[in-house]
Amino acid sequence: MGLLSAAVRGVQVNRTRLLPLAGIVAACFAAALVLPATRDRVLRYPLAIAEFILLALFVIAFWTIPSDFTRRMRRNPLSVAGFSIIVLFVAIAALAPILAPPPATSRDAYLIPQEGFSSDPKPPQVRHPFGTTEGQYDIYYGIIWGTRTAFRVSITVIAISVVIGLFLGGISGYYGGRLDEIIMRLTDVFLAFPGLVLAVVVVAVLGRSLDNVMIAIAIVNWPVYARLLRGDILGIRSRDFVEAARALGGNDFRIIFRHIIPNAIYPFLVFGSLDVGLIVLTAAALSFLGLGAEVGYADWGMLINLSRNWILGAPGNPFAYWYVVIFPGAAIFLFVLGWNLLGDAFRDILDPRLRGSS
Amino acid sequence: MNWTRSALALLVLTLALTLVGTGIAQGQATRNPDTLVLVRFGDPETLDPAYSYDTASSEIILWHVYETLIFFNGGSTGQFVPMLATQVPSVRNGGISMDGKTYTFRLRSGVKFHDGSTMTVEDVKYSLLRFMFMDRDGGPSWILLSPILGVEGTRDDKGALDAALFNKANQAIKTSGDTISITLESPYAPFLSIMAQWSMVVNRKWAIAQDDWNGTPLGVAKLNNPAKPEDTKLFSQGNGTGPFKLAQWDRQGRQAILERNTTYWRAPAKLARVVYRVVEDFGPRRLMIQQGDADIVSVNRTEQSQVEGVQGVRVIDDLPQLVMTGIYMNLKIDTSGGNPDVGSGRLDGNGVPADFFADVNVRRGVAYAFDYNTTIRDCNRGKAIVGRGAIPAGMFGYNPNQRWFTTDRARAEAAFREARGGQVWANGFKFSVAFNSGNTTRQCTAQVLKSNLEALNPKFKVDVRGVTWAQYLSLYRQSKLPMWIIGWAADYPDADNFVTPFQHSKGTYGSAQGYTNAEVDKLIVDARNETDAAKRRAIYFKLSEIAFNDITTIYLQPVGFQVMRSWVRGWYNNPAFFGPYVYPMSKS
Amino acid sequence: MATYIGRRLVLLPIVAFGVTVLIFALLQFLAPEMRAAAFITNPNQLNALPAIIQKYGLDKPVHIQYVNWLREVFLRGNLGWSQTARQPVRQAIGSFFPATLELTMYSFIPIMIIGVWLGTAAAVHRDKAIDHVSRVFSISFRSLPSFVWGLLILMILYGRLNWFPPGRLSLEQDLFVRSGQFHFYTHVMTIDALLNGELWIFLDAVRHLAGPVLTLTMISIALLVRITRSSMLEVLRQDYVRTARAKGLDEPVVINVHARKNALIPVITLSSLTFVGLLGGVVITETIFNFPGIGRWGAFAANQLDIPGVTGFAMFVAALTVLGNLAADILYAYFDPRVRLQ
Repeated sequence: MGLLSAAVRGVQVNRTRLLPLAGIVAACFAAALVLPATRDRVLRYPLAIAEFILLALFVIAFWTIPSDFTRRMRRNPLSVAGFSIIVLFVAIAALAPILAPPPATSRDAYLIPQEGFSSDPKPPQVRHPFGTTEGQYDIYYGIIWGTRTAFRVSITVIAISVVIGLFLGGISGYYGGRLDEIIMRLTDVFLAFPGLVLAVVVVAVLGRSLDNVMIAIAIVNWPVYARLLRGDILGIRSRDFVEAARALGGNDFRIIFRHIIPNAIYPFLVFGSLDVGLIVLTAAALSFLGLGAEVGYADWGMLINLSRNWILGAPGNPFAYWYVVIFPGAAIFLFVLGWNLLGDAFRDILDPRLRGSS
Repeated sequence: MNWTRSALALLVLTLALTLVGTGIAQGQATRNPDTLVLVRFGDPETLDPAYSYDTASSEIILWHVYETLIFFNGGSTGQFVPMLATQVPSVRNGGISMDGKTYTFRLRSGVKFHDGSTMTVEDVKYSLLRFMFMDRDGGPSWILLSPILGVEGTRDDKGALDAALFNKANQAIKTSGDTISITLESPYAPFLSIMAQWSMVVNRKWAIAQDDWNGTPLGVAKLNNPAKPEDTKLFSQGNGTGPFKLAQWDRQGRQAILERNTTYWRAPAKLARVVYRVVEDFGPRRLMIQQGDADIVSVNRTEQSQVEGVQGVRVIDDLPQLVMTGIYMNLKIDTSGGNPDVGSGRLDGNGVPADFFADVNVRRGVAYAFDYNTTIRDCNRGKAIVGRGAIPAGMFGYNPNQRWFTTDRARAEAAFREARGGQVWANGFKFSVAFNSGNTTRQCTAQVLKSNLEALNPKFKVDVRGVTWAQYLSLYRQSKLPMWIIGWAADYPDADNFVTPFQHSKGTYGSAQGYTNAEVDKLIVDARNETDAAKRRAIYFKLSEIAFNDITTIYLQPVGFQVMRSWVRGWYNNPAFFGPYVYPMSKS
Repeated sequence: MATYIGRRLVLLPIVAFGVTVLIFALLQFLAPEMRAAAFITNPNQLNALPAIIQKYGLDKPVHIQYVNWLREVFLRGNLGWSQTARQPVRQAIGSFFPATLELTMYSFIPIMIIGVWLGTAAAVHRDKAIDHVSRVFSISFRSLPSFVWGLLILMILYGRLNWFPPGRLSLEQDLFVRSGQFHFYTHVMTIDALLNGELWIFLDAVRHLAGPVLTLTMISIALLVRITRSSMLEVLRQDYVRTARAKGLDEPVVINVHARKNALIPVITLSSLTFVGLLGGVVITETIFNFPGIGRWGAFAANQLDIPGVTGFAMFVAALTVLGNLAADILYAYFDPRVRLQ
């Protein structure tokens, strides 16, 4: 609620600067409604439009909140670039049904439509702006809907890792002693594995599917969160307000959840957002090894996997099938790049050692 | 700053040197003219002739390191020529007894093993017994056990060795002078085909010296069912009579190297060396043949367009092969334990019950709905034919006039409307078609079938699911999969080796599908023991007719092709080969 | 310090065995049929699944299988048979690791040199063109999937130019090496080639290393640039650097003599971690370049459910990781006088 009111306030404060932006958005929608080619699509998916408007408002609000943090973000060209890229992907995800409407007969919008079954990819053409990949899946459709998959995978993985990390890291940091020792050795065990190999084992054991890919990456990821939280808690535990709560006889559970976690969670979430790029890359690597989403499911890693046999081109023409790898590759690259740019900017801003020198 | 600069300079210099030294000036002249390089996607499991039961192993050792008593005549799978024996036994020349049970081979004299010792009939007997009694779980030993002793294995259900069996085998195989005779349990029509592939002769004295089986009944317990491939002494070394010696199996570098046997009993091979390398990824494999670093490479049908039209590379297509792909419908699905492939497990439009395919109308509906032409065109590049029963075209017992299914939407709809008193049509269903992930042809076939069925009725829902190999095998063996696609490659070229796995109630697929037909089981055994060719053919025709009526499996017979550098000479195809027969080959 | 090292060394076996427990715990999810199927190379053998389960005791409870496995390891030093490597696990590690070591060794050098150089340059010329360029480059490299990099490199440098082929040696060189005229001292091909005095083998080995090394370098360099830059920035603000500047020393002397030496401390620490990180990076790189190292084997074994293979691989890598972290701690203590004094 607090965030929302801040957002509203942000909009009010910066009304003058927002006007042209809002104008552009409104003009786009007006144009979309007037043009017969797009009108049907827009009218068929009012929910997607609503989602998009809401997200757009939220993003604008965030960007215009007057604070030191956003001021520094705005001043750094790299972070502006990163932020714009991510906003672009959020917009694509929200507007997926309008940008790439699923065929009327489709049972599941995430299944990429096929035109024929032949294995040889076909270059971009009017019906398939990015061409088709092995098995005649439409690359454009896969990339648009794959954006949603990318967000879903990263959010789910972070959510699972955060929950496990909060739980184990919280216990470890708060109670300390032998429990701490055991949990920390447990994280040692998980961190001693090269992440990709552990993820491969987990998916191989559980079976190939996108859900299992998420579980596998979360299993690889949680120890980092647990350690991070533990470290924060060790710092906070001895602070006055925690001591006070303890002196007043508050029970452990209450202290952890009311006092410790709210104070430790901020760097935690920042770290999570920095992790998105790595998660998407790991998921793509699993797909590349043949352990990703089902063939035909809108997922960038799956598209890369389909391109595997064609990536080296045709004899005498190494770039004959450039489109099967360039488009999904570019989607992954831009998405990860956006998060990495943003992450680096975050880190620079939050790193106290580098403060005040720029 | 200086040390970084000099280190960078050194790096650049080394790379430049490397390129100048070896890289650039390589034209398209024949590379390594006396070495043949074959690049494959899988490692051999072992090089022991009694243990190996995979194509990658057999391709290396069979007829190269070890030879058989008789051999296939040119490209034929039904005609034989002598190899280590001096003639092919027949009833006319007295090599096969009148009752069809005893086969006598006269051994070629003066054949030497790679270590210089001379081959005798005792080596042959030792090799046959060793092959039968190694009998590892899931091994090839049944191929000899079944005709000679009438059993499928040497152990009972609890895994205990049947002690009487060895004596029986010892009696069945007799040697005298330079002849060896084998008496079968009952007449077994495919026996000569079996001998042409599975009678590999190893050097007895040498094997005993390597601490392998000592040749006595007492040693059988140690020989039988080794725990791991390495436990057999012939795992990575060999001593046969073949045109090539096994020089090295480098498991780290993933290659096996054969070297010319200069004391071969025929003219020595033209090639000095044969190298089998493993490169899993298709991309590098293709680049290797393109650059001339490989002479022969494995290519899947779906990747074929990438090797067409490469300068200096030849694609030889339309090769008959003894492979049959099936789309199997499971009559008794194990729906327990939240099986994800059967949805709700009930006929409520969101799943299928265990006995969904037990209704022949459902199976017929599928067979009529399936778009054969699209599958062959798009998934097989036009290089496959619709199988008319389990027996592949071109094989003895195949009936080209057998009536069969064609794509027919009206009939498909009629069959589905009739199924289960109209419930299937009214409620619809949902199940998955499984394939082993990575196999693009099967994946494509599954997708075609999915689109065909879903086009019939919006309530028909089919998922396509790719499963990793180990998972795939165990799932269909446990009857968990409602429908799956896999191919069968012949163990030996005979119709018996197709009708048994596909149609017998205890066959590999029949049992996984829960298909039982007492008449079929009896006909299969009858055909096996029938020595009269005409009668035998009639039984196989009948089996194909039953396959049509019962339609439990949709058959597709893929056609093979080979990709090699055009400087490779002397290659020829025989559907019974596991890989190219290298002896007559050369490079120019 | 000694007690600290001792404590870390005690951790080593604990972590290594924790890893094995983890793998056996994951096995709980696998049906015995599935694990038995991993032994099957020919689907024609499928009816033998129950016999294989019985033979290897795959249907026994997991804890019993684990105890049996432990007994084999402790009493006989037997890590089991790797179905995918076609050899015993211990032998497989021994035969695959030198190739990986060679790969990481050669990637390590350019990563350190270029990473430190770029990082320093970026810090010294902060917010100038080189700073932005190096950041953009390192972030870009970090953002592209490693397999896309690898395949692009393979496509151009082998497919187009025929410079750097996949594998470890070309055929002719390989046959020579295996002919008995060549002595393996270390199993690291480039070193052995030089020790044997065979320059052509050395050059061929380098030619095969170039592609994977380039890939590994690109994906791993970003972190080092980043750390060097921020460490250098911090040092540049220190009093002694300001003093040096104030004394009127030449800027190169200030940078090279005073600043970089101190800025390198965290970098040196990071170097051993980079080495460990490379071990994870080799999985994809080795797969793409068909380089016969331990990473490709590990991924393949995991994919094929080769349980003894994966377990052995994981234990080995876990031990290396622990040792790498230990090395990082020791290096840090050695170079940082503040820690040494304590």
